[in-house]
Amino acid sequence: MYKKLSKTLLASSMAAALLLAGCGGQDSAEKSNAAPKKDDPNEEVTLTFWDENAGPQRTPIWEELIKRFEEENPNIDVEYVGLPKDSAKTKYDAAIAANDTPDVGSVQTSWLPEFSLRDALLPLDSYFEGWDQKDKINAGAIDFNKDIVNDNKLYGIPYTQNLDILWVRPDWFKEKGTKIPETWDEFFTAIEEQTDKANNRYGYTIRGGAGGSFQLQRLMYAYSGEEEYIKDGKSTINSPEHAEFLKKYFALYKEYTPKSDITNGYKEMIAGFDTGAVAMVQHNIGSFGEHSEALEPDQFQAIPLPKTPDGKYVAEGGNTIGVSIFKDTEHPEAAWKFTSFLNSKESQSYWNQEVGQIPTNADVLEEAWVKESPHIQTAFKVYDDPNTILYKPPFYLPEYRSILDSTVDSGTQAVLSGKMSVEDFLDEWATAVEEAQKKYDEHFKK
Amino acid sequence: MSLRQEVNASVVSMKNSKPSKKFKIDKWIPYLFILPSTLMIVTFLFYPIGTVFYYSVQNYDVSAPFYNGFAGLDNFIKIFTQDKLFLPSLMTSFKWVISQVGLQLIFGLAFALLLNQKFRFRGAVRAAAFIPWAISGVLASVMWSLMYNEHMGVFNDLLMRLGLISESKAWLADSSTAFAAVVIAELWRGIPFFAITLLASLQSIPEELYEAARVDGAGRWKSFIFVTLPQLKNTIVLTTLLRVIWEFNNVDLLFNLTGGGPAHSTTTLTMYIAEQAVHGSNFGYGSALTVIAFGILLVFAAVYLRITRFERED
Amino acid sequence: MNRKSQQKFDRLFTLNIPILAMLIFTLFPLYWTINTAFKQEGEIVQRPLSYLPVSPTIDNFVTAWTNVGFSTYFKNSLLVGVCTVLIVLVLSTLSGYALSRYKFKGKRPFLLMLLCTQFIPRSMLIIPLFIIFKNMGLISNPLSLIITYAAVEIPFTTVLMNGFISNVPRELEEAAMIDGCNRLQAIRHVIFPLLIPGIVATSVFTFIYTWNEFLLALMLTNQQGRFTLPVGLSYMMGEFNINYGALAAGSVIALIPAIILFAYAQKHLVNGMGGAVKG
Repeated sequence: MYKKLSKTLLASSMAAALLLAGCGGQDSAEKSNAAPKKDDPNEEVTLTFWDENAGPQRTPIWEELIKRFEEENPNIDVEYVGLPKDSAKTKYDAAIAANDTPDVGSVQTSWLPEFSLRDALLPLDSYFEGWDQKDKINAGAIDFNKDIVNDNKLYGIPYTQNLDILWVRPDWFKEKGTKIPETWDEFFTAIEEQTDKANNRYGYTIRGGAGGSFQLQRLMYAYSGEEEYIKDGKSTINSPEHAEFLKKYFALYKEYTPKSDITNGYKEMIAGFDTGAVAMVQHNIGSFGEHSEALEPDQFQAIPLPKTPDGKYVAEGGNTIGVSIFKDTEHPEAAWKFTSFLNSKESQSYWNQEVGQIPTNADVLEEAWVKESPHIQTAFKVYDDPNTILYKPPFYLPEYRSILDSTVDSGTQAVLSGKMSVEDFLDEWATAVEEAQKKYDEHFKK
Repeated sequence: MSLRQEVNASVVSMKNSKPSKKFKIDKWIPYLFILPSTLMIVTFLFYPIGTVFYYSVQNYDVSAPFYNGFAGLDNFIKIFTQDKLFLPSLMTSFKWVISQVGLQLIFGLAFALLLNQKFRFRGAVRAAAFIPWAISGVLASVMWSLMYNEHMGVFNDLLMRLGLISESKAWLADSSTAFAAVVIAELWRGIPFFAITLLASLQSIPEELYEAARVDGAGRWKSFIFVTLPQLKNTIVLTTLLRVIWEFNNVDLLFNLTGGGPAHSTTTLTMYIAEQAVHGSNFGYGSALTVIAFGILLVFAAVYLRITRFERED
Repeated sequence: MNRKSQQKFDRLFTLNIPILAMLIFTLFPLYWTINTAFKQEGEIVQRPLSYLPVSPTIDNFVTAWTNVGFSTYFKNSLLVGVCTVLIVLVLSTLSGYALSRYKFKGKRPFLLMLLCTQFIPRSMLIIPLFIIFKNMGLISNPLSLIITYAAVEIPFTTVLMNGFISNVPRELEEAAMIDGCNRLQAIRHVIFPLLIPGIVATSVFTFIYTWNEFLLALMLTNQQGRFTLPVGLSYMMGEFNINYGALAAGSVIALIPAIILFAYAQKHLVNGMGGAVKG
């Protein structure tokens, strides 16, 4: 009898599911039919804007920019919605799945291929071409954004750029006479020299927990100088150079780094550096604000990741965040107005100065604050060097992020706890990437 | 119980002598009363739960809709044949549920026995003992991660001052302590629920039963075993059943404190589901895992209620 | 040793010391959070640790309350919490009454249905719920949260209420009906007053859940001014945004209603919960 009942319940809820799903589908069809609408420039318009990393630091910056925009455009009202960083992608995913996207959003470049394949974004090529400031925006970053999506259209205008670097304690380096590392050998020597366990001081800290895989990958490619992530269906992840590097790198654990590194997330890792427990940490220039609150100006310094054996810097492409317009917007013109406003000289200057990252607008690069902030100059040293290798991770693979988040993060921890060899770890990683690539190729018949 | 039933029976027989029309309306009253709740649950929970069953036989990845389609039993086959994390995470779930519910019950009972005694400021002490129950998993994990921290954590500081350890320990990172560290944090939050319910049950045990036991020469321990525990049985059965289900699905603290690490050693099945479905956006696979978890809990609940003979009056 | 001091000595081990240990265990994390909330940013990470703030400051509270729009989230949480509690009380009293007072076909399946709703992790329900509420036009409307929370809570509170009502002797109700009250009047005048502890327990239980729920609160709301407290707290935990002091202060603020609730409801809570689960 229960069986019968639960069957009925299941059947009826399935019916309801299909019914509701059907409604959702219909709705979206209507919407996309009505999409391109010419709007009257003076019509009262409300835009929704989603920020993918909201918090006490960045939210006020956006609110200020929105205020300025609304003063310039009294008929446009922008509604800010701040998403906590850890849940931002999930929120966008649900919104796209349910066809309930914002008008404009701050979107990480690595999300662009996926969002565009899911048909969520509005191509911006024609708007961008008609914009008088288009030549000011970093052409490399724009090309990169076009390059990584399947249809080679422009789906996001990058407003800020970031770079992975090393934060070091220059005061301690001076005290012990340690050379600021420029090569990988010097990197490892510096860590050894700076470690003083008796005084609770470690030379380095590894991000073994959430998000660590993204940083690890940047170190590996900086070491090997490998330019391609996937060559003829084979991933370069498990190259012998990468294995060689990881063996040395993971050997630092516990010997020269805190024990808690294995589950370190961002917070714990940065806290290690900012509390004076660690002499050197890999992160990006974006944590400048954090360090300047906790430490004196002469206690922290940004240096580039060491050069490859043949003397080249390496950076990961696509380390930008851009503004995207979502396809379902009813006011594409107003949305573009806001998008271009956010990328104007004044807006980019304000945003990037407050956050401490690199603007993509050439006019801003001429400003005094850019020239006077040493960590941004460090980043330029890498980006402006004509020999710098810019490798391109396969952001277009739908599984790319989950491979890094689950396979690589937990694999790192397995190696650190001695349960897995570096080779097995890299092979597993490479296999996961190769399988995702194969599935992608089969589907899109490249 | 039996006395009350007798009274009830006589009341019912009195009622039966009333006009039969009234009786007919009465028959529909219970359905009328459960209707709003049923509607609410069916619309807002059964539809979503139905989609979970539906997606379990689909390839459904929200971040890659172009791969979506009917999958048959592929997801399930993959879980049982290829998935290297399914069994270990299920085992961690069992470990987590058994240690949580077992320890929460023991300490909850101890707290309840303590708080059932008479002493000054009892109300305030009770309120204080119950507070952790009101604290969300997210807040609790913030508090405990601050205290467990290797560099600035108060536990390391205290233990070093007491001379119990000589150097800071990474409680949440060491695979030998991580699980236990989270268990303690979750206990902190979970004990009050048991303490409240058991305390309330203790208060309803008639004093005469203890007196009778004393007359029979039973000491403290014996009257606890032969009077207190049997009287608490129904409470214990129901609260442990609910707790098992909740703890099975509770991921907040593990997720925030260890992230399931090191190397998935603290990943429970529910965390693994969240990793696949929410963070990996692979809802099809996550749904298949959820269906399996659903089956396990259903079987557990049925068996548990049967062997404990819960509320069997006949 | 005379008898009295022997008793006192016994009490030391059966009461005083265990109570002290229990209080240390439950209150220490709270003490530490409050201690952190009153410290200045530099002092939090400084070693050796200070067990009382060296120069106490309320800056963190000001930051938490004003900077991230906490006051709005606080109000929204209250609104959602109170409305959910009201709905849950009415619906679960009705269904609890039916379960406790009537024998009817479908009672066991109904209970089974209630139990089954608890088997699925909430995170799996996000997208279908989002689609339902989008079709109803209720995204960003507090109603979507109130309805969802009520639906999630009703299975448990129905079982609770069933327990409470079973504890009220049926004879009382029947007596009132014989005296000329109809069933509803009997419920209102006779049963309701006896149910107060149960109602308090159910309310506290429901309120705590709504007060702490994060994922649905984030997913079903697309408007900044409509977020609830847990979303507000999560802003303080993101990358580039660590501020332990403000986080601790925010936590303390979020805790205040819960503590007041417990201090006030403690007595009813015990009576209530006991009634419910005695069966």
